[in-house]
Amino acid sequence: MPYNIAMISDFFFPQPGGVESHIYQLSSKLIDRGHKVIVVTHAYEGRTGVRYLTNGLKVYHVPFWVIYRESTFPTVFSFFPIFRNIVIREQIDIVHGHASLSSFCHEAILHARTMGLRTVFTDHSLFGFADAASILTNKLLKFTLSDVDHVICVSHTCKENTVLRASLDPLMVSVIPNAVVAENFRPLSYTSDDESRNGSSRTGNHKRVAPAARRIGPHDTITIVVISRLFYNKGTDLLIAAIPRILASHPNVRFVIAGSGPKAIDLEQMLERNVLQDRVSLLGPVRHEEVRDVMVQGHIYLHPSLTEAFGTVIVEAASCGLYVVCTRVGGIPEVLPGHMTVFAKPEEDDIVAATGQAIADLRAGKVRTELFHNQVKQMYSWTDVAQRTERVYDGISGVLSEGEFYQGAGAGGGWSATRGRAGVQSFALIERLKRYYGCGIWAGKLFCLCVIVDYLLYVFLEIFAPRSQIDICRNWPKKIMKDGKEKDKDVENGSKDPNPIARKRSTRHRRETREDEIES
Amino acid sequence: MSILSPYTLLRCVTSPPRRTLTVLQPTPSTTSFTVSTRTVPRTLPALLLYYVFIILRILVGALAIVVLWAKWRAHKENAGEVKRVRSDEIEGTSETAWESLVLKWVIGEELLEMLFRSVERVDWMYFGPGVLGVMWWVVRRGYTEESLLVLRGLGIQTSTSSSTYLQPPVTRFIPTTSIQDIFIHEAFKGSEVRFYLAIVVRGEEAVVVVFPHLLPRRHVLEEVWRGARACLYEPGSTTKL
Repeated sequence: MPYNIAMISDFFFPQPGGVESHIYQLSSKLIDRGHKVIVVTHAYEGRTGVRYLTNGLKVYHVPFWVIYRESTFPTVFSFFPIFRNIVIREQIDIVHGHASLSSFCHEAILHARTMGLRTVFTDHSLFGFADAASILTNKLLKFTLSDVDHVICVSHTCKENTVLRASLDPLMVSVIPNAVVAENFRPLSYTSDDESRNGSSRTGNHKRVAPAARRIGPHDTITIVVISRLFYNKGTDLLIAAIPRILASHPNVRFVIAGSGPKAIDLEQMLERNVLQDRVSLLGPVRHEEVRDVMVQGHIYLHPSLTEAFGTVIVEAASCGLYVVCTRVGGIPEVLPGHMTVFAKPEEDDIVAATGQAIADLRAGKVRTELFHNQVKQMYSWTDVAQRTERVYDGISGVLSEGEFYQGAGAGGGWSATRGRAGVQSFALIERLKRYYGCGIWAGKLFCLCVIVDYLLYVFLEIFAPRSQIDICRNWPKKIMKDGKEKDKDVENGSKDPNPIARKRSTRHRRETREDEIES
Repeated sequence: MSILSPYTLLRCVTSPPRRTLTVLQPTPSTTSFTVSTRTVPRTLPALLLYYVFIILRILVGALAIVVLWAKWRAHKENAGEVKRVRSDEIEGTSETAWESLVLKWVIGEELLEMLFRSVERVDWMYFGPGVLGVMWWVVRRGYTEESLLVLRGLGIQTSTSSSTYLQPPVTRFIPTTSIQDIFIHEAFKGSEVRFYLAIVVRGEEAVVVVFPHLLPRRHVLEEVWRGARACLYEPGSTTKL
């Protein structure tokens, strides 16, 4: 069943970043699968109003007041009129919010539940439990997630974190990792190889099973690449401490550092103090499409982050054929297989030791970095992410039965926060209030009050901005040829895939595409 | 559901005025699209009511002018510039006298006397705004009318009616040579997203929005857009409809 999905987040293009590209890639793959997707975000400088991106992805840049690092001011209710308008005119069934620091997303989920829509939330980041800001954010997260249909996390660590922060039933949290567009992150040798064979047939490409190994002699220069925003949580301080020691113990090593941020000054000071300008080049901020060109200059990718929910950048680095040295924090250990990475504790000595280890491994020729690209390509694809997200949509909108969705784990009168003891998903206001009331002694009452006001606002809007006065949008015209291709692909998947659930889904899809054809 | 349920009543009150689209095509190369909030009277009682209302407005307007004149007159008398108008004394003595003569002939002497006396009692502070308000009500146009006139080979003229009967409508003519495109898009307006029809003019930063105040519904805009393109570009030209 094709859904109308609204992706809601404060963070979207033109601002670069992981969440932004996640939303974009997921949306475009969902569109490819026959759904209708719109993105709602706030207005950026020079990017306002309603825009269309490639493939008919419609973006609403709502004019809103931005307070801090592109997050909008949390006003709880002021977004509701415009949100309701957009939801009605686009006939949205599922509201999918992204990023826990986005007040837009939280508000949208609250309003969507008031309007009786299905909601999904994707968490992209990890949070602490101790400091004041985290406690506040966690309370707000608990508020929104008290009444959400399903939550998606990008890694198991992130899932654990979110379940604890928002007191969720772990069953209603799925893990769907990020992915990379492997074609955009090809190693240097791969591209040249590809170009030279451009004239020949595709079989030529397939024949090249193992590309020639890159040999690094004992005196060749090894380049270590660091690409990150220079913030505290990205471990820039560790990097600053480790660089002089690594360079001192390994003579034929140089660094390439890209990115900008408040810690850039500290980094420059360190370089001047140790006179390392000839061995460390600072590139400043790079655009996302230039990241690959920077990465392929190096042999090792160093990622000293202190906290990371997923770490898309290390997947990108591995895809470019770099050996990855990273800290064992957050979701990073889940991301790449052991032979692609050297792990370190997030402390200076260990990072220096791990980098030394990686340099030694490379010089000894123990690591087949040239194979990384194809391996990553098989592990991560956005099509797969979209497929898994679609399954979540199927689960929450009742297309998959509960038992099927949870694969038996929570079926048969299983209790969950949103389903209540009766096992029935209820949108009744009183049921919703019950869920919110459990949030805390004072917070529970406050949240209930907010929900009631929100509901009254909804009734008010239904009267004073009636639905009949809102025009329904036309959908982006779909290419029929593409539909046919998609159908074929689905059939193939269905016949090959051993997973019974997937097979069931694809038969359903087949039937629907056929119906579509008859209609058209 | 009964017609007079509270919900229906509330909807009548809250919904914006009905916008009707009128298309006029006197020749194949000329089309005018008019969107208006005016209700055109069709039944006989409605038609009668409509004319009665017009006459009422004219009368009230005339009365307001007379009262204003009377007040001004009374004001001058009090200041001692003009003598009191008495039935016997006025013959040809003052240059303003002919107006009172006409009035006396129209509404009668007693009434005129009464008018003067009652007007004298009212202070300017209340009198001025009161008369202004009545005059505003008289000349106010109770509806908005916006139109798009397409002339093949010449160009497009947009117009928006003014808020009073005294001012001419605001019009804008765009010659064919400077029209780059005409399209429908969406934009945020207040707390909603509205469709609008816009014309891209060569050499201008901003587009020209057609029907900028009424912003009709999408199906109306689509009709106008099709019609305008069909009229603006020769049939069988390269542009697709």
